[in-house]
Amino acid sequence: MKHILFSIFAAFALLIPGIGSGQEILQWRGFNRDGVYNETGLLKTWPATGPELLWAFDSLGNGYGSPVITKTNIFINGETDTVSYLFALDLSGKFLWKVKYGKEWVLNYPGSRSTPTVVDDLVYVTSGWGQVACLETRSGKERWSVNMMTDFHGTAPRFGFAESVLISGNTLYCSPGSPDTNVVALDRFTGRIRWISKGAGEITSYCSPMLISLPQRNILVTFSKTNMLGIDAKDGKLLWSYKQEGEGVDCQVNTPIYENGFIYSVAGNGNGAFRLQLSDEGTKITEIWKNGRCDNLMGGFIKVNDYIYTSGYEIRQYYTVESTGGKIVDSVKFDRGTICFADGMLYLYNEKGQVGLFKPNGPEMDQVSSFKLTRGTKAHFSHPVICNGIMYIRHGKSLLAYKIK
Amino acid sequence: MRKKTSLAVAVLMICSMAGAQEVNLADILSNHYKATGLGNLRKVNTITMTGTIIQQDAMPVKIIKMRPDKYLMEFDVQDITGFQGYDGHTAWSTAPWSGNPKPQVMPDDRAGELRSRGDFDGLLYNWKEKGHSVEFVGIDTVEKTPAFKLKITKKEGGIEFYYLDATKFTILKRKYSRMMRGQEVAVENYFHEYRMVQGVLFAFTQVTYFGGQLYNTLQFDTIQLNNPVDTNSFRMPVR
Repeated sequence: MKHILFSIFAAFALLIPGIGSGQEILQWRGFNRDGVYNETGLLKTWPATGPELLWAFDSLGNGYGSPVITKTNIFINGETDTVSYLFALDLSGKFLWKVKYGKEWVLNYPGSRSTPTVVDDLVYVTSGWGQVACLETRSGKERWSVNMMTDFHGTAPRFGFAESVLISGNTLYCSPGSPDTNVVALDRFTGRIRWISKGAGEITSYCSPMLISLPQRNILVTFSKTNMLGIDAKDGKLLWSYKQEGEGVDCQVNTPIYENGFIYSVAGNGNGAFRLQLSDEGTKITEIWKNGRCDNLMGGFIKVNDYIYTSGYEIRQYYTVESTGGKIVDSVKFDRGTICFADGMLYLYNEKGQVGLFKPNGPEMDQVSSFKLTRGTKAHFSHPVICNGIMYIRHGKSLLAYKIK
Repeated sequence: MRKKTSLAVAVLMICSMAGAQEVNLADILSNHYKATGLGNLRKVNTITMTGTIIQQDAMPVKIIKMRPDKYLMEFDVQDITGFQGYDGHTAWSTAPWSGNPKPQVMPDDRAGELRSRGDFDGLLYNWKEKGHSVEFVGIDTVEKTPAFKLKITKKEGGIEFYYLDATKFTILKRKYSRMMRGQEVAVENYFHEYRMVQGVLFAFTQVTYFGGQLYNTLQFDTIQLNNPVDTNSFRMPVR
């Protein structure tokens, strides 16, 4: 009986992030990096002017990265005068402190790109020029830092480093992208190298990786310039790769999703969406389908039951892909942009600054409400975050907090 | 064949609308002035327009015009802000995304376009006094809408065609050519979504094609009249 109970608990724990590992990792696109926020009781419609704006913080510096929300604080990156800063706010949007942690990318789309990763009392950040730093959440004091270009011979891709670093256990994973150092694993407390993976020997492609936990091994899944890589998280051994052959390929930005033995991805540059079957031991992949018409570049995608919801790029609309066969089965005109999911609803934030609440209805996305952001600066590229009944949207120098519960 | 058919239909429609009277330039322009609220526009000193320009990315754009001929466009490429300005004498631009942050005087062929945009009341108003010539050259269709086609020969050289809705007298399309990398390229602007702002009619959407290919879409969210504007903002910055 004890064994049965333990098995049930273990199976349950694997499904809930933070239980299996004993870690609560606050990070890019939610606990599982899949854009799904485990919230309940959220509003099912919004007023025409949008949900109530609780507060706005308008002095972030330039950037596109999302915030992470802890029990007491909000952490978010921003650029001012080419310097990367980590900002700490309290939950009412009050400024607490900011610290410099590196040089930020300003050659194009100037501003910070990544989202911090928070584990316990440490926060991990990345700059557009490849600085990876570990800072204390209380004060921003630096524990350690490395630079992916100077320390690992990495090459900055054409839009700068944009990876939000992945942490599992005591290890931090990041992608310098040099011929010999495609991906590295560092001790998250000291920054010391645990392993170096040559991977495909390519520059990075802006992807924030994800981890697949199998009984046999954990697999780090990320993209380099022209390959999806499956790397054994224990030793850095390249288990498999999946070639990206699109025209002008180098932007494989979206974090893939793993579910029940299958890896799903929606990538730009003509590579399209695809579904791969992962072998039981995680050492082989088999392509199930691929659809080159899906060309989302960096808006992410959501998988709900048998459908993938995402945005187009060349054709500015959102669309639905049937996840078992890969066919586009519906589309909705709402320009193009990012997407996340909570409490049965899709949250779309497009490049025109419109935020839409949509109900997924099988293949269809039914628009329920929408409003347009009236604060902030520059491009609307960021991914919304939903936490404790609040929707956080970063628009350039502004972080906006909307009450949606 | 389809084009010829729709043109014939347009001619028939317009003849019946005009009661078989001869269509002439003076009437077309008079109706155009009336329809667009020119009388009200004449009392306006500045126009401030904000919105989004979609040219691969969707980026914010702001256009300020000041009577009689000043023009300033603030826009982003790769999220880096650049300007195009005309202060009544000098047309200039900045393009920091190219690596050069310094303002540059625009070459003559591009300066002409900025002067046209700066003409506060539009090329069609007081065209004789401005030294242009305007002719009514026939009836055409624009996206299946019958239109009067006007030919404007500008004082400084260059020809433009304006297509005015045959019933609403709004501008549906503007066509001209521009030199790009040593080659003459046809430029077409299509104007949609007309809305009144304090008695003046504005197109809130403009779609531009270069050589028949979609180039960009300009969508205005707000158009405000008579906002205070500093004249110096139109001058080329000294750097």
